[in-house]
Amino acid sequence: MDGGVPLSEMEVARLIDRARRRGCRNQNWVGGDPIPHIPFWLRVLLHEEENTPVFFNTNGYYSLEASALLKGVVDLYKIDFKYGSDRCAERISGVGNYWKVLTRNLKSSKSGGELLIRILVLPGHLECCLGPMLSFIARELGTDTRVNLMDQYAPHWRAAECPELRRRLSREEWERALKMVSDSGLENVIS
Amino acid sequence: MWRLLRPDAVDALDDPRVLSAMPRYARVAKGTLPARFLISRSISADWDPQGSLEELWQVHNRSLSEAESLMRRIDSGGMDSRELNREPRSLLHLKARIGEALMESCVLCERRCGKNRLNGELGLCRVGRETKIHSCFDHMGEEPEVVPSFTVCGS
Ligand code: SF4
Repeated sequence: MDGGVPLSEMEVARLIDRARRRGCRNQNWVGGDPIPHIPFWLRVLLHEEENTPVFFNTNGYYSLEASALLKGVVDLYKIDFKYGSDRCAERISGVGNYWKVLTRNLKSSKSGGELLIRILVLPGHLECCLGPMLSFIARELGTDTRVNLMDQYAPHWRAAECPELRRRLSREEWERALKMVSDSGLENVIS
Repeated sequence: MWRLLRPDAVDALDDPRVLSAMPRYARVAKGTLPARFLISRSISADWDPQGSLEELWQVHNRSLSEAESLMRRIDSGGMDSRELNREPRSLLHLKARIGEALMESCVLCERRCGKNRLNGELGLCRVGRETKIHSCFDHMGEEPEVVPSFTVCGS
């Protein structure tokens, strides 16, 4: 398919139904982030015929209003948990109030659906970010929470302004990250 | 085909670690329980088209608790999900209606930029009124329990 075709809700629903019939396990809405597209997706669902679970793959920075719309619709959330401190979120991603928003949405996605968390370990952000994220998950969401811990960080466009992000994760940091995971008590980590 | 690409995904829906974290999803993916949206589509919701956004939310929240108790009944085996009907004015329709209303002064993400996307204004996210489909494919690169995942990229 070419970049950016306006398909009708009905056409998208047919594509999803067909994918389900050939054995896909879910419908996975991505964007960028799917948050601005929630109204569109809700209309697509009105037209679907098959029983296809909804997999919502997001950065987790959505509003309470969006969260209420997703309840009763999303079967499985995958939330990209990036920062353990507002300072780092502000500096690297330019968003405010990150910790409060993410922890609120992680909790409500767990209570109103099921949850998978993805953590891409950032170089130089083990103590400020990884540590608080792991302890929040273990304490508030439970040690059985499924977490995909990833070491594939590659330097990106913000790297110019954030010197620590100009390199990949070192081997020593990855080993330390794994040690932090085992100390956290989390029992369901893919790494 | 995907079984060759991702042999680790074949039995993932029976993996005890997957089942402990997402038991319901595993059953929906296998087709033995209905997806949540099918339940929301079976709950009738009676809203006043002239009503305020606040009134729409009130009807929404009432219907959502009905959907939740219906889901519990289905999941515990108390009701056959083949009996789920398709309401012409359902909770899912109401969600779509509210979703559209929220675009008028958009607050879907926490940037809450308030742009009127219904008029075609672009938000801070660069999305306006329309969702275009950028690509779709069977995604093999995700966690084993979600593979293969039919991925639709909106833009
Ligand atoms: S940035 Fe986009 S999704 Fe967020 S409030 Fe603005 S228009 Fe809505």
